[in-house]
Amino acid sequence: MLVKLAWRNLWRQKRRTILTASALALALILSLVMRCIQEGSYSANIENIARLSTGLIQLQHPEFKESQSIDDLLSAEPSFIDFARQVSTVETVLPRIESFALAASGDKSKGILVLGIDPQPEDDYSSLSRKVISGSYFGDPNNKSDKPQVLIAEGLAQQLNLKAGDELVLYGQGYRGQTAAGLFIIQGIVHFPMPQLNNQLVYMPLEAAQRLYSTGDLVTSWVLHTDSLADVEQAVSALKNHYTQAVNVRDWLDLSPDLAQQILMDRSSGLILMYLLYGIVGFGLFATLLMMTLERQREFAVMLATGLLRIKLLKLICIESAFIALLGIIIGLLISFPILIWLLFNPITLTGETAQLMLEMGYDPVIPVLLAPQLFINQIVVVLALLALCLIYPLRRLYKIDLVCALKGGAHAA
Amino acid sequence: MSIKLEQLCKIYNADTDFPVHAVNHLDLEIKQGEFVAVMGPSGSGKTTLLNMLGGIDTPTSGKVLIDGNNILQLHDKQLIAFRRDNIGFIFQDYSLLPVLTALENVEFVMQLQGHSEQECRKRATDLLIRVGLAEHLHKRPAKLSGGQQQRVAVARALAPSPKFVMADEPTANLDAKSTAELLDIMQQLNEQEGTTFIFSTHDPRVISRAKRVIVFEDGLKKEDTVQTEVSQ
Repeated sequence: MLVKLAWRNLWRQKRRTILTASALALALILSLVMRCIQEGSYSANIENIARLSTGLIQLQHPEFKESQSIDDLLSAEPSFIDFARQVSTVETVLPRIESFALAASGDKSKGILVLGIDPQPEDDYSSLSRKVISGSYFGDPNNKSDKPQVLIAEGLAQQLNLKAGDELVLYGQGYRGQTAAGLFIIQGIVHFPMPQLNNQLVYMPLEAAQRLYSTGDLVTSWVLHTDSLADVEQAVSALKNHYTQAVNVRDWLDLSPDLAQQILMDRSSGLILMYLLYGIVGFGLFATLLMMTLERQREFAVMLATGLLRIKLLKLICIESAFIALLGIIIGLLISFPILIWLLFNPITLTGETAQLMLEMGYDPVIPVLLAPQLFINQIVVVLALLALCLIYPLRRLYKIDLVCALKGGAHAA
Repeated sequence: MSIKLEQLCKIYNADTDFPVHAVNHLDLEIKQGEFVAVMGPSGSGKTTLLNMLGGIDTPTSGKVLIDGNNILQLHDKQLIAFRRDNIGFIFQDYSLLPVLTALENVEFVMQLQGHSEQECRKRATDLLIRVGLAEHLHKRPAKLSGGQQQRVAVARALAPSPKFVMADEPTANLDAKSTAELLDIMQQLNEQEGTTFIFSTHDPRVISRAKRVIVFEDGLKKEDTVQTEVSQ
């Protein structure tokens, strides 16, 4: 009976009910679209940065994070990495050697970062060959040189006055204190839009790096990529369980703390905006709920006089309010879902300098949306929490309703 | 079952320099099956008295004894249950739930008592037929005339089979014909089911039908007369 009564009460003031539900729906639509775009752009950024440098997950020697030393290495044996390959959500597994060296050419030298990579899988993963602006990528059949080859970043090439085909000397410290020195031919020059990469990166095939640093069949890290960002947590958990303390399993948050921090701050400002929006709608909802209770005091008093328990009266108001919220949620979802689906297949396209920068980085200049159930659930929870918050005061007043005063229709009954 | 009031007082603004004695040291006994009219001018304390009899209002002092039990000592939940099972209310403005039909309005109180849906439907239908609304069972209050609405209110008040029905100026908004019909119905129910009716009124049409008339003024019982000749 209470549900029937609540549902019918809702339509006593049709316009007010529809307006309130619409306000909730509008807040839900705006928040949902904003959050899906926001999270979509974060996911794309993380994905792009991961593919460009760190990957979403790395397996490292437990000491490597602190030491960054070529002495703290992991096995490159298939038996070691087989488990990671078998984790169902892991789609890419790449070995890397990452260390430092002094690059010299003529009378110029500079400290650089050496990345030893498996050329073909790495290209499949990060499209490194598309960043070559001069010369060619590893494995060019036209290159007949028997000397080991490297790709160097454009900024570094300019600083050392080098071009494709020139020779480069690398000198550093190898595994267990051995000297790392070698003469390399510059196979190609790669361009990175980010200065810190563009001024210091040197790529070489993994075998060449292992020879340079005398690491044998060892690597500094295994770079892993999952099917989606959402799978990272589960994959990390599985990897940690398997490799235990012998391997440091690091996710993108640990590998790119600056990016994580930047996303956290941006997400916070987005959430503040969203809560402000809900706050404004909340005042409207609060006014409706308060009116809904105050204007029907005499009716409530009659119900109480005829034997309705106060707690059931509160339940009636809660059900009515829940109906309004539900109506708002349904309208909101019905409108926002097609918009989000459309945006999923037709993402917002960037133009101008931003688009150019993204194209240079090898990314599509679009802002994608992320359709994750959690985003929808979160918004629904926010609406319900808002409703609960707005209900506290009207329910309190109703609980304390003075029956005699309310029967007289008094303004101070509740 | 009888209602007995002992030294009942209700003082409004007791803490101020101008306290209002709505009911002043009232002793009164109303027995089961009586048809009582409490009459008096506006502001004489009739409604306050009815509210205290029905356990809606609490007196400043005194006792409301029903079958010897002081209902003022009941907890909130017990009092609500007592009211629900023993007292029916009829209000001047009918006070029906506007979103429910006549039938549902009557059923509502019985459902609060925990009766089954079938029981509620049967008794509510019977009562509405008895008050002459057989053709209006499924109409909402807005579709009924004032007299018809007050008949629904009577049926609602009687639905839980109460011992007492408190009617606060039930005919104030009705025309002569509706008033006569309503009083006929209530008189019939009083005689056939032994339900006690207590009216607050200054309507001479009601007073002429009452078996007992209590005149109330300034919170005091001025007269208490049993009428031997009652109009039909």
